[in-house]
Amino acid sequence: MNFDIFVHSPAFILGIPLLFAFLTPLVNRLSEQLRNVVFGIGLVLTAFFVGLMSYQVLTEGSWLYVFGANQPEPQNLLSYFYFRITFVADSFAVLATITISITAVAAGIYSYGFMKDETGLNKFYTLFLLTLAGVNGMVLTGDLFNLFVWFEVTSVASCALVAFRNYRGRSVEAALKYMVLSTVGGLLVLFSIGLMYGQYGVLNYALLTQSISGTFIDKLALGLLVVIFAMKASSAPMHMWAPDAYSEAPGSVTPFIAITSLGSLFVLFRLLFGVIGVNVDPSVSGTLLIILGVLSMIVGVTMALVQTDLKRLIAYLSVSQVGYMMMAVGVGLATLNSADYQNFGTLAMKGGLFHMINDGVYKALLFLSAVAVVHVTDIRSLNKLGGLAHDMPYTTVFFLIGALSIAGIPPLSGFSSKLLIYQSVYLYSPVLAIVALVVSIITLAVVGKAFFNAFLGPDQGLAEKKVPSSMLFGMGLLTVVVIIFTLFPNLIVSEIVSPAVKALVGVMP
Amino acid sequence: MSWESLLLMMPYITVVLLMVIGLFTVLFKKNLIKIIMGITIMQNGANLFLVSLAYRSGEYAPIFTSAESTDMVMPTPHALTLTSIVIGLATTALMLSFTIMIKRHYGSINTEDVRRCKE
Repeated sequence: MNFDIFVHSPAFILGIPLLFAFLTPLVNRLSEQLRNVVFGIGLVLTAFFVGLMSYQVLTEGSWLYVFGANQPEPQNLLSYFYFRITFVADSFAVLATITISITAVAAGIYSYGFMKDETGLNKFYTLFLLTLAGVNGMVLTGDLFNLFVWFEVTSVASCALVAFRNYRGRSVEAALKYMVLSTVGGLLVLFSIGLMYGQYGVLNYALLTQSISGTFIDKLALGLLVVIFAMKASSAPMHMWAPDAYSEAPGSVTPFIAITSLGSLFVLFRLLFGVIGVNVDPSVSGTLLIILGVLSMIVGVTMALVQTDLKRLIAYLSVSQVGYMMMAVGVGLATLNSADYQNFGTLAMKGGLFHMINDGVYKALLFLSAVAVVHVTDIRSLNKLGGLAHDMPYTTVFFLIGALSIAGIPPLSGFSSKLLIYQSVYLYSPVLAIVALVVSIITLAVVGKAFFNAFLGPDQGLAEKKVPSSMLFGMGLLTVVVIIFTLFPNLIVSEIVSPAVKALVGVMP
Repeated sequence: MSWESLLLMMPYITVVLLMVIGLFTVLFKKNLIKIIMGITIMQNGANLFLVSLAYRSGEYAPIFTSAESTDMVMPTPHALTLTSIVIGLATTALMLSFTIMIKRHYGSINTEDVRRCKE
């Protein structure tokens, strides 16, 4: 039996961060420089295996990775399903893991400079890698029980990250809020897993899809799952933890906490399409998703309008961006079984999923450049900031690119995905397209206000120090990715997003 | 409903009671320690639910013995429960340590005093 590293890459995507998470505190005893190097190697290796998996999926097609079985073994899979741990390596997982890896590498490099003055950094890097393993596990897993385990791993690690600067009361407060919600959510996930298992005796997505018949208990369990994952994805009206957690976490991990909620959104879509879509009337869950999406868009952007704290402002914007994806994918789900799906539903899905990968990157860029401002000036209030373009030219450019992208200004990447959403959603209901456009305009006003207040105007000499080069490098990496998405939107849509839509809607491998 | 079937329903009734009591505590109590106690009660409810699902009368525990393999119960819910207990320990410990730090910073563990994030 030859060992094919491509086929085994899903195991490495989890194994590498877990191994390096517990290696960093050990290496830290030898030297701190070495620990930083080991942390970087862990991040890059994880991204490398994500690349291997993506290459294999996009060239050879998706496969079901069964732990402990001879690989590949497509014939006898059904007999494994009851006992084995399975991972789904398909184009949807590729989309999710690519988004996660880009942000993780950028945020990790950014952390070197940003966290330099903190103590207990070995634990910080451990928690960072554990969160990475948790999110990757959540999007890759192929059964509900594993989903619960990775959900809790992500919750515990990311809550501890939020509270990392525990000398600040607010950080601990935000972390406890997030933790209580996540734990209650996790228990309800476990309860609904019990409801499913009690009826069908299986936990595997593929087998559940075949056996779910849409009884009342099914609807209860699936409703619970949808609500919990929408909560974790920071969708309104369950978004109240997000601004606190995003703004109180150490700046370099803020985009990473945002990525955990994006990961939950990926899981939500997979559950809605893979487990529920075929068996329960998709128009009901699609409509629910549209309502949640529109609510998040409006609530997020109106709350962002009144914020004066730079980080909270972007946190609320991120809530409103989640709304775009939910609305677009909701339109796809609502039209799934009708002829409209071919007309515009599939376009809406493409727009929604393209917006997810776009949003993951430019939101991270926006967060990181805002955090650089706070790091340099130690001021978070927009009323007191001003004239920073004189002192931090690079950060100004990075913030501007992120801001224009989140507002959907052509030709930046945010525009290409939003255009797909407007086009397709308009055909479903013009009202939705109008709401999306108006929210986009208000978003422009919000980021415009933030940009003018913080960067333009006379030099006030607020910058106390220079931005460390590792932070500039992290932001630069994200900017390069945003520019790639801007220049080749067609390529991204046809090579990564369209297969992901097919994998999401189609039957599991 | 006969007396016997009511007895068989007892675990599920207990589960519902535990979940409702736990959720009530989380939603309506102001003391952080009590909220965490409520979460623990919910955890126990969920665990009891899984264990009662696994029970099949007249069948054997899934241990390698001479019993016929068809007479054994599926071990999945037990594995679930054990994992959930371990995870529950971790989350409870983390939340309690957050509470200790909140007491240090705010001098109170009443949720009405702990709302600096809102300002």
